[in-house]
Amino acid sequence: MVFSRRAALFSGGSMLLFGGIGYRLWQLQVRDHDDYQVRADNNRFNQRVIVPLRGEIYDRFGVPLATNRQNFRVLLVAEEVKDIAGTLAEVSKIVELTPQEQERVLLEVRRKRAFTPIEVADNLSWEDFARINFEGPKLRGIHTEVGYTRDYPFKDKAAFVVGYVGSPSDSDIDAIGDDEKTERLLRQPGFRIGKAGLERSYDEELRGKPGSTIVQVNAHGRVIEEYPNESDKSIQGGTLGLTIDAELQMAAMEVLARPIIEPAEGEEPEQVSASAVVMDVETGDIIVMASTPAYDPNEFNVGIRQSVWASLNNDPLKPLINKPLAGNYPPGSTFKLLTAIAAQEAGIKPSHRVHCSGRIWYGNRFFNCWKRGGHGTLDMKGSIKHSCDVYYWDLAQRVDIDKIAEVAHRFGLGEIYDLDIGTQSKGVVPSREWKKNYFASTPERQTWFPGETLSVAIGQGYVTATPLQLAVMTARIATGKQVQPRLIRAHADGVVPPPVIPDIEIKLEDLDAVRDGMNAVTNEWGTAARSRLEDPDWQMAGKTGTSQVASLQYDARGNRVKNEDMPRHLRDHALFVAFAPYENPKYAISVVVEHGSSGSGAAGPKARDIMKAVTAKNPSALPAFNPATDEPVKMASLAYELPASAKPVGGAP
Amino acid sequence: MNTLVLPDRRGGLRKNLAAVNWWLVIFLSLLAATGVATLYSVADGSWTPWALNHIMRYALGLMILMIAAFIPLRFWLSMSYPAYFFSLGLLALVPVIGEINMGAQRWIVIGGFQLQPSEIMKVALVMALARYYHGLDFKRVSNPIYLVIPLAMISLPVALVFLQPDLGTAILLGLSGIVVILLAGLSWRIVVVGAILGLMGVVTVIQLDLIKPYQIERITSFTNPEADPLGAGYHLAQSKIAIGSGGVTGKGYMNGTQSQLDFLPEMHTDFIFTIFGEEFGFFGTIALLGLYLVVFLIGTNIAMKAKSHYGRLVTMGICITFISYVLINTGMVMGLAPVVGVPLPLVSYGGTVMLTMMAAFGLVMSTWINRDQDTLRTSMSYYGRIN
Repeated sequence: MVFSRRAALFSGGSMLLFGGIGYRLWQLQVRDHDDYQVRADNNRFNQRVIVPLRGEIYDRFGVPLATNRQNFRVLLVAEEVKDIAGTLAEVSKIVELTPQEQERVLLEVRRKRAFTPIEVADNLSWEDFARINFEGPKLRGIHTEVGYTRDYPFKDKAAFVVGYVGSPSDSDIDAIGDDEKTERLLRQPGFRIGKAGLERSYDEELRGKPGSTIVQVNAHGRVIEEYPNESDKSIQGGTLGLTIDAELQMAAMEVLARPIIEPAEGEEPEQVSASAVVMDVETGDIIVMASTPAYDPNEFNVGIRQSVWASLNNDPLKPLINKPLAGNYPPGSTFKLLTAIAAQEAGIKPSHRVHCSGRIWYGNRFFNCWKRGGHGTLDMKGSIKHSCDVYYWDLAQRVDIDKIAEVAHRFGLGEIYDLDIGTQSKGVVPSREWKKNYFASTPERQTWFPGETLSVAIGQGYVTATPLQLAVMTARIATGKQVQPRLIRAHADGVVPPPVIPDIEIKLEDLDAVRDGMNAVTNEWGTAARSRLEDPDWQMAGKTGTSQVASLQYDARGNRVKNEDMPRHLRDHALFVAFAPYENPKYAISVVVEHGSSGSGAAGPKARDIMKAVTAKNPSALPAFNPATDEPVKMASLAYELPASAKPVGGAP
Repeated sequence: MNTLVLPDRRGGLRKNLAAVNWWLVIFLSLLAATGVATLYSVADGSWTPWALNHIMRYALGLMILMIAAFIPLRFWLSMSYPAYFFSLGLLALVPVIGEINMGAQRWIVIGGFQLQPSEIMKVALVMALARYYHGLDFKRVSNPIYLVIPLAMISLPVALVFLQPDLGTAILLGLSGIVVILLAGLSWRIVVVGAILGLMGVVTVIQLDLIKPYQIERITSFTNPEADPLGAGYHLAQSKIAIGSGGVTGKGYMNGTQSQLDFLPEMHTDFIFTIFGEEFGFFGTIALLGLYLVVFLIGTNIAMKAKSHYGRLVTMGICITFISYVLINTGMVMGLAPVVGVPLPLVSYGGTVMLTMMAAFGLVMSTWINRDQDTLRTSMSYYGRIN
């Protein structure tokens, strides 16, 4: 009896416990099923971002300025390796790894989860990559991957136009990662965004659209299967077609870099800091925008070394400054063109004559013309041809500063252009209003003195301009139209129609005397006769400018020190602006050579040589690239030689 | 006359087969078949390495069951103490020649076979205790003096298993031993006193650091597995996700994503219920529990009908051991019990458990066949009565 009772008790107890298990099953599988279903899916499904290829940037003929190059990388998965240091040493036999690089890998191994691939080396040559793949079975845990990296085949030759890309910083992510998907894209390892130049301003267009893929992972996070999402593929960023002609850009870079002063026997030639802008005066297309010295944007892409950065940053020639847009120079005698136009609008005829005896007395001192003996009697055309200062000091006493300023603005000085490129300098066009604002905190200095007008009239004093503004000025003088510079001539969907350019409000005959004068400068034995273009179809009309950086220096004997003999940073800037052909203008150019001493000696010849190349090719007359319909040019089929340093790294597989 | 003559010699095969409780065989087979199907799925649709072995082990187990069933219960009675001491000897051998597996020594290898003596001991202990109470006058059951021997019989193997260390089996072993004592009719007063003493013993064990840290972790983690999802409670959290995501109807056979993606450990042994639950859902798990309950109730029925004290104690002891496995294992994978490493009988992969369980049910079957015998004293009278 006792046994039966006890047995019944245990049976009953067991069944009760079974009921408990059953209740638990109901909880898990029926009541909370949805919750567990979600958790099971979260467990095993991850959404991965597919990084889109960045849009490519081409010159006006489809020559790539910024492309995506295959990047052969070596990765290491720590959990598959027993002896990581030993494996790195094995890899190092094929691709050299410095001790610092090996240290970095070991550090990352400690920081990241064991199955996360860690980059060991990238930008391998095809040969090294093939060898790593060949040795693969021996190198457990070492994987190879073909990724893409931004490539600038023209290196420093087109650096300032395209700019460069770099890893987004946290503040970049805050600024542009407005939706979750973009933010995830920006956080992808190795993802780059535009940091400077067009890469930066057109970043959104170039970036493309990220796609997504669902991956099934196992408990260790390893991808088991990938489910490509057909409706959410990544889309490559849009193509940009520029107005730049890469070939002429390269030619201009080469001309600019030529030493101005022949180096003494056994000495290195002095490096030149100069910039040049060539524009199509009918469309505003910027054909050349050159600045030297420059940097190699590829170095920024892969993560610039501290030492390189420091040397770029401390270089007195400022290789990081985009001088055509950000360089701010007193325009010197090139500004006389505007003074002459302003004078005509103020009622002074081109036949107005002034006698130059080498100096004038004004206020309480002498103003010395650059030609000590004087120019004799000159009319307006002659004043431009000989760049006579006295003539313009005479005009400055007859024309109000505000009139000069108004004309300068009309011809493009003191303006920021809609180029979508950052760091443009506005320059200074002085006027009474400007001075009032400029000295807002010191009211006693706000008054405009007539003597200051004399300085402005010859492009000195407060007035400054950028090489781009001077090119625009020249183009506007050449055409009488409100030429607007532009860099983008095509997008992925086709060519941007050339802008309709309105006329400048001016009597065209007011420009004639100026153009005549410019023609005389080069072609009638004026100040830049040496810079004449011989081709009768491409007669170039120009204007020199030499803008004073420091006051005149005298040696112990009281003789003026020749500008060329002064310390570099005190030498005058050399400027030259020109358009060609004189009769039916097509191209305008401005060249500024920092501390080049003389516009006719340093800037003129460079402008001539660049213009020679431009007119010989006449790029505006050639059929241009349309990204929507044309195939881009293959680097291998270029008609001209790339700089030796610009050959693509590695080969194609 | 040979005392070991099998009953079929006298009654004919047909008559003796008719004496077998076929319901028990059928339900045990259904459980084993569930095991085969699940093991096939766990191996990603492969007969190897588990499913085919499982079938062969079950076939061997069924043979052992039948042989044990047709051996007179009297023989088993006489074999109870020898079996106990043999198992104790094997257990004692484990630390000497045992193999270390997952931080514990549980296995010994004899003649190429891996053996888990602690599993054999579960049946042997029930047999020995039943034998003890079979020969003990009921009036003396609650006399503390007569409690010394059974408690010693329980403590020795429990201590040996505990030191392997295999906490789960030690607890199960102790539990089944105490159950047999209770079934024998131990007074509740002594049970209460014993419970208090036992509790003090547990406290002492913990105080003296006799439990390994991982064992404490395993025991405590089941209360809040989510707190430490990648540590001790990780497997449990994943197990619950797998079972819960199975839902009412399950993800379908061979479609258990949690299990196929390595989220679960020991899928073919301790966590097999999880895979089953994920693939077959609530209907499937309730049906499986139903199978176990039916086997348990068939066994309880046999125990109730058995006239001999030995027979009913052995049968009930085995049934409760069997059902404890099921309760602890399923409770464990659903976060109701600590993760202690107890297999799901007949479904989990594991040779020793399978064979000892089948041998144990052989004893149950033998009890069924000999249910009308009350004393088991002499063979002659036994056969005489049947005829």
